[in-house]
Amino acid sequence: MIRVDHIDVSYDGATKILAELSFTVERGAFIGIIGPNGSGKTTLLKTISRILSPTGGVVRIDGRDLASIPNRDLARTLGVVPQETAINFDFTVMDVVLMGRHPHIDRLASESKEDIAIARRAMAMTGTEQFRDRSVNEISGGERQRVIIARALAQEPKVLLLDEPTSHLDISHQIEILNIFKKLEGEVTTIGVFHDLNLAAHYCDTLILLDRGEIRAMGSPADVLTRDHLGRIFHINATVKKSPRTGKPYVIPIIGEGAPLRGALRIHLICGGGTGSDLMHELHQQGYALSAGVLCINDSDYEIAAELGIPCITEPPFGEIRPDSLHELEVMLGCADAVIVTDMPVGRGNLANIRILERYCATPIILFGRSDATGAARDFTGGEAERLFALLKARGATAVADYQDLWNTLQDLERRGDPAEQG
Amino acid sequence: MITRRHVLVLALLICLLCLSMAATVTMGSTSVALDMILSDPTASLIIFELRLPRVIAAVLVGFGLAVAGTAMQGLFKNPMADPYILGTSSGGALAAVFSLVFLGGHGQTLLAFVGATMATFLVYTVARQRGRAPVETLLLSGIAVSLLLSAVLTLIMWTAGENVHQIFSWLWGGFPLASWGDVWIASLILVGCAIIFVYARDLNVLALGEEEATHLGVNVERFKQLLLCVSSFITALAVSVSGIIGFIGLITPHVMRLIVGPDHRVLIPASMIAGGLILLWSDTMVRSFTSEMPVGVLTAFLGAPFFVYLLRTRMRT
Repeated sequence: MIRVDHIDVSYDGATKILAELSFTVERGAFIGIIGPNGSGKTTLLKTISRILSPTGGVVRIDGRDLASIPNRDLARTLGVVPQETAINFDFTVMDVVLMGRHPHIDRLASESKEDIAIARRAMAMTGTEQFRDRSVNEISGGERQRVIIARALAQEPKVLLLDEPTSHLDISHQIEILNIFKKLEGEVTTIGVFHDLNLAAHYCDTLILLDRGEIRAMGSPADVLTRDHLGRIFHINATVKKSPRTGKPYVIPIIGEGAPLRGALRIHLICGGGTGSDLMHELHQQGYALSAGVLCINDSDYEIAAELGIPCITEPPFGEIRPDSLHELEVMLGCADAVIVTDMPVGRGNLANIRILERYCATPIILFGRSDATGAARDFTGGEAERLFALLKARGATAVADYQDLWNTLQDLERRGDPAEQG
Repeated sequence: MITRRHVLVLALLICLLCLSMAATVTMGSTSVALDMILSDPTASLIIFELRLPRVIAAVLVGFGLAVAGTAMQGLFKNPMADPYILGTSSGGALAAVFSLVFLGGHGQTLLAFVGATMATFLVYTVARQRGRAPVETLLLSGIAVSLLLSAVLTLIMWTAGENVHQIFSWLWGGFPLASWGDVWIASLILVGCAIIFVYARDLNVLALGEEEATHLGVNVERFKQLLLCVSSFITALAVSVSGIIGFIGLITPHVMRLIVGPDHRVLIPASMIAGGLILLWSDTMVRSFTSEMPVGVLTAFLGAPFFVYLLRTRMRT
């Protein structure tokens, strides 16, 4: 068990990097430390590995004060995997892995059969046996990092500290390496610094969110990776989904484009099949008051609407839209300053969403990202939907190709609706 | 891991050294056959009072320079380091000359140790940036400190007058006057080599980086100080016996690393014996074929081109 108890760490005795930090890590847990650059993640890790010493507070490993543990004892308890290791001479892979046994071997003794067996096991776990006689400097970066992990495993540590162990590797190597650590869960207490929030969420049971040297949140990935935290601490706008397979949160950052607007319009969105998700985010970010529907409750657009708190009319799956819902839709359309229809697929089930628009000549209708060519392919009503869209266009619905176009159109509408500018 | 091949190479080197010592004793301006040693008193005098101490001194100094070079290359994680290039030898020589001119030669070895240690620490401190000493800055600060030391040395020579020739022999070292007394001083080199050998595995671990070595239980700061002190001690002993002999500490570990690999548990003894061999044969050449040309000149002729070659290949990668 690791207990970090009110530690302060400062740089050059002046600037505080960590302030009054406390947390406890249970034996065998896999903990991720996340946070923006400069939040103190690496400093925290270096304090636990005793490269830095805290100016206040104590770190305890299994009840022992970290500062009082002799070097060799500590090296037998705690292994560290750095981001990258430059090895200065052409040691073989086997030699490097055996270096992990250094704290276990007496000064004048040589490696025993047991040491070699342990090193072999560590190489088997990391899939590095096939390189055992090659120089560490002639294998690839991903392979070398696995060798460094094998070295840390050969230390047989009770605690493993990882400092962004996969940040220089491609995604397949990242997964491969994190799977190695996952296998150790329960036996080895692992604390890792991660930049990739999704990998951290997937692999860690507990996340610690650091910001400016303080813990802002600690708990399960779902509790820590919220839209609110991501916005306040990372300053990003993001969707957090739940992976349907693992139930872990999954962060999708929304990369904004276009000039920021202060939308004052009420917009109703007719969408479906995921065609409205991005649009909803963008409109929401720009500050428009939104409503949406009618949507089927297993539509991914509905999930986004629910997450963003957008009022939405819903239907159970596989049915046609019921009269009650259509009535609700009429009310919403009546309140809206504009209606946006996406290039959603149209079938018998949702055709009513379009048909109702025939009766709303007064409300401006915007057809977003819909061209005649794609439209035909998404018409599953035998030409009925196409006919309706053509009719809407003929009555003055605006076809809009991209976001830039959309912002211009909406700004025009806003100006037209503003009495001050009408005079 | 230490393999059978390693053991074989070491055994071969030891045999080669013994044979070479036996052979070189008989060589020189007067050739002495081994069977004459016991019968002919002049021959026995030449062998026991002149050649044997000289051969042993050359081997011991060769041991010391090669081990100090190996330790410094491991310490600085930099294959361009050696006691000559880093100014350790110059610092030792300057202090030895100082004692010769101003103190009548008293405390020479001790002063040489102080001078050697101070020069090394100075070069390292100048070169260090955020706890690391990169090749370029290490070489440059070595040059800078060496220039300063040679200016001081010239100043001493200028004030010394009559001792100039003696001082000169420190700058381009050799063993023309090697005596049993020198052998006793030089034998302390073995102590230094033994200390460094005990820390061979720590040197291996240091190749992973200082933080990594700390995580493997090495007290890095104390270990670095120990290595610098012991290498300076060895270099100072070598300098006070033979003056400055360059490049042995650079070339030997390099060549041996190609043969036995980087594991210091093998590299240190292999370099040590090879260093003894190289210096023994270099000294035998100069005393046999020249009228006592300083052996430092020969090793510089061999070593300087090698140094340039290393610099070029490093620049390419």
